[in-house]
Order: sequence, then C-alpha cells, then structure tokens
Amino acid sequence: MTDYATDFSPGEMIVTAGARQLENNKVIFAGTGLPMVGITLAQLTSGPGIIPVFEAGAVGPTLDRGLPLSVGDSRTTSRANYIQGLNSAFELTQRGFIDIGFIGGAEVDPYGNLNSTMIGDFPQNYMKPVVRLPGSGGAGDMSCSCTYTILIVQHEPRRFVEKLQYCTSMGHMDGSKDARKKAGLQGKGPKRVITTKALMGFDDETKRMKILATMPGETVQSVQDATGFELMVDKDVYEFAPPTQTEIKLIREVIDPTQIFCKR
Amino acid sequence: MLWTGLSPDEARTYLEEKDKSKRDKRMTMTEAVKRFVKDGDNIGVGGFVNSRQPVAIAHEIIRQGRKDLILSFQSAGLVPDYLLGAMALKPDHLSVQRMEFAYNGHEYAGTSSMLRYMTENEKIFIEDWTNFSMSARFKTASMGLPFMPIRSGQGGDIEKCNRSQVIECPFSKRDILLIPACHPDVGILHVQEADIYGNCRIKGQTFTCPEIAMASKNVIVTCEKLVDHQIIAMDPTRTSIPFFAVDAVVEIPFGCYPTVCHDVHYYDKIHLEHFKGLTDAFRKGDRESLAAYYDTYIFDVADTDEFIGKIPYKQLKYARQTESRSLELQTRLTPPAA
Repeated sequence: MTDYATDFSPGEMIVTAGARQLENNKVIFAGTGLPMVGITLAQLTSGPGIIPVFEAGAVGPTLDRGLPLSVGDSRTTSRANYIQGLNSAFELTQRGFIDIGFIGGAEVDPYGNLNSTMIGDFPQNYMKPVVRLPGSGGAGDMSCSCTYTILIVQHEPRRFVEKLQYCTSMGHMDGSKDARKKAGLQGKGPKRVITTKALMGFDDETKRMKILATMPGETVQSVQDATGFELMVDKDVYEFAPPTQTEIKLIREVIDPTQIFCKR
Repeated sequence: MLWTGLSPDEARTYLEEKDKSKRDKRMTMTEAVKRFVKDGDNIGVGGFVNSRQPVAIAHEIIRQGRKDLILSFQSAGLVPDYLLGAMALKPDHLSVQRMEFAYNGHEYAGTSSMLRYMTENEKIFIEDWTNFSMSARFKTASMGLPFMPIRSGQGGDIEKCNRSQVIECPFSKRDILLIPACHPDVGILHVQEADIYGNCRIKGQTFTCPEIAMASKNVIVTCEKLVDHQIIAMDPTRTSIPFFAVDAVVEIPFGCYPTVCHDVHYYDKIHLEHFKGLTDAFRKGDRESLAAYYDTYIFDVADTDEFIGKIPYKQLKYARQTESRSLELQTRLTPPAA
C-alpha cells in the first residue's frame, strides 16, 4: 500500500502533480519556480532520464548546486551537456527538440490561452494598463513550438476567465479545428492544466478545458466554483492521489530545503 | 517602417566607414559613456533577467544623465529598473522614452514595480515581443539582414502591438512571422574576460550578448578581468565576441554586481531584494527611500570602486562562495544577515 502524506502544502501538491505528468527520457523546457521543483522531483523518482532545457541556454543539466532562482542563473548550467544562448534554445524548440514546456500566466481561458502581459482594456489601453505584468518572456515562444505544454495557474475565478484581457501565449486559440496550424504554429498546444484544485485536460472535439481529476479535498463542484467559465468533466473523473511520504521528503529535504518556491 | 536605433542601411554604411583596427580600446567608464551613449540612443542591454546585467555601465549612464533613451532587451531585471527608477526620481536628468522587450521583472523576487509605475502612469512607450523574437531581432541585425522569419509569436495579441508581420510563406504556404532587425546605437555588456582589443570570452550561457555586440553601432564592454591577448590567441574558439565589434573595454571587477556572473559570483540577494523593496515602496508612494538609495549608491559615488566599497565584505564573499559549488559545500557557509 502506498504511504501517502497527510501533511502537504498546495505548492507541494502542484509540484507532485507536475512531476507525475512527465514521461521518462523526454526533453522538458523548464520555467522558473514550481516547474523546476517538479522536474527535479521527476528526475529523482520516475524519470531519471528527463532532460531539462533552460531558455537562457543550458541543455541537460543536473540541478545539484541548488535550485536556480532564474532560468538564466548559473545554477542551471551545472553538469550541462551543451550551453549556448537564447537564440539557440528557441531554435531547438522551433526545430522540434522540446517535448514539453511548462508555462504559466495571470489569466487562462477555456482553450488554454494565457495572459502574462497586462490587465486592462486591450488594445485601447495597451500603453496605460490597470496592472502591467512582466510580459511574455519565453512563454509565448514555448506555447508556439513545444510539442505540447503543461500550464500551471492559480485556481481562482478571476484567473480562469471566458475571455482574456490580452493573449500572450497561444493555447488552442478559438478552439476551431486546426486553429493552431492555420496560424502557423507548430506544437500541439496545451495538454494539461495543473492547479491546487484539479488536474485538467482539453476535450478532443471542442478543445475546451475538462476536469480529469480533483485534487485531495476538492470536488467537481468546488473546482467549478473556483472557475470563471464552465468546465467540462471527464466521464472517468477521479480523485488525484496525494503526494507520497517519499515525494514530500524529497521536496523538503533534497530539492527545496530552504522553501524558495515550495512554501509549506 | 520605423527603425528605432539604426536602419539596416545606416548600420551597414556606418560599419563600412568605421575604424576596425586592432587597437587598445581601454578607457575609463566615464569616457566610454561620454563617447558612446547619446541622448535618444537605442541601448541594447546585455545579460538576462538578473544575470550579467551591465550594472556598472547603467550606473554611469545614470550619473551622467541622458534623455529619451530607448531600451532594447529580451528579459532584464535590474538594469531597466535602475534606469526607470532614475527617471522616476529625476526626469529632467535621465529619461527613457521607449522599451522594446519580452520581460521586465525579477522571476523569484516578483514583478518590476518600475515597469508598473511607468506603464500604469503612461510615462513610456512600450513594444512587447517574446524572448525568441527579441533575441532573433538582434541575431537578424548581426547577420546583416533586414528581417527574418520565425515560427514564434504569432496568433495572439503580441503581434498586434509590435512591428512584426505575418505573411504566407512562399514555399510552405503556411503563415509565418517576420521580425525586423534591431540595430542598437550602443550595446552595453558585461563579460568575464576581455583583452585590450575587445576580444571577449563569455563563460556559461551567452544569452544574446554576442548578437547584441554584432548588431550594435557601438559597444561598451565591462569585464571582470582583463586578460593577455596571448591567452585569447591560444584558444580563439573560445572568443565569444571579436575585437572589431567592440569600441570600449573597461576592466571592472563586480561590474554586474549584485546580479550573477557565471563562475565569478552568485547573486547578492540581500542587495537585490533591498533595491527591489525600495522600488515596491516607491510605487506605493514612498519616494524618499528610493531617492536615498540612488544618492548613496549611485549619485554620491564616483564609480563602481566606491559603489562596491559600500557593500559589506561578508556579502561580497558570500556571493563569491555560493557560485559554482555543490550544494553540500554551500550549506556549510553562514549566510550574511540582511
């Protein structure tokens, strides 16, 4: 019988869920924060062959000098196989070397499009937003060209919206058939959305977001209540298993002992 | 087409007529900024977020003061924040009119309060790009091309607020994005090693420093360490930027402090977070604390010697000791108190 943890934080749940989505031997484009913790956890558990790539230029490092605080940090280069710069990293992505990209944003819509640019009226108030966010960084590029993406978003009704205030990173666009291909994009788009409340996917036909599993303590109703648009529900929806004792021990003692990203 | 900085034709003509001789390019920071940074210039900012940001050069630009600057970069944290902070405090002394960028923030340490202050109060013109499209703009310029197709950045709202264009590829018949070259008037870079001629060696990720150097009209380089030309010539495959792309070489150890310099020092989180906290406070109405920081660390010091002289030795030492070491060795160290 699996020894599940009873005491874990929302961040630790997200990291565990992220790690469990990663197949061994895949090339993963890593963003700052929880994705780095998730990738490292996967490397230490089910995916020792996972290959992280960082957009500032490091390919295939082992993060044994501590968690990087930035995707451009020198710690991302520890025991790397290949180091160049940003053009090289995104050319690899454009060419098709990157299997999975982790991206996030302040807002997400039913088709997995993301906003990390601005809150306010676009285009009228582009130059005078209500809240200016940092901008795309590499997320817009990863959304275009990674074979598929996994989204991590805080689960609140104001973040899960029917219509974005600004589309920074493309998901399934308007959900129409071949929308991404028509726009000239290459990857298959978002495959999973991970939040503190649910693991979600996208409906094959409509491309709308669909609950695949509820996180421990949540129900389909509580997930829907935290979402600003109507979610589809998979016919085999299940309760996602909590982190195991082993996963929690690795996060707390090995990967993020000083709680840089995974607060308790 | 609006070309900020040089148009491709202007950049080509300037380079044809430029003195490309292999000469000693050492000069003081004061002289380098005086000669190569003018009002209205498009500045290509090297580094990435808070790694190898050209802090020493930015401080000197702030001391001397310039008007109507344009900042071009992929992702940056401290340098745009320093320049925007100077503008927020003394708009008649230093001003930024425009930023062309993909990301301005501090990753783990949060969003940029200076970007928020400037945009939410409509004080600057902005043009959003992505990390790839902005990096590829420098690369396009470095290759002497006016534009380049990339398969990134189309389909959403970013393409609507920048000068990129979507066309049907004449060969594949699929939509593709064209991005215009970016030729800055001046590129500002910090590297680990350079010789007196400007040959540079970058350790770790190059970010887009080589592309910015090859794209820019003029380039100021600060280096951690000036090395003998013989060292460069012994292994020229390690040269990241060739001498004739560089106009000024200034040896400034800790020239990107408190940001990371690969293999030299890690972040000084205490100083970075202190400054970041003051910019957060500024946005919420506390002008005095940020003004005091600028006086203490920038306006009232002559140069980087004096700036670094104000950083406690324990912080400098810890930043050195936490770079390029196993976690096990790092955990034996005692972090300095904030």
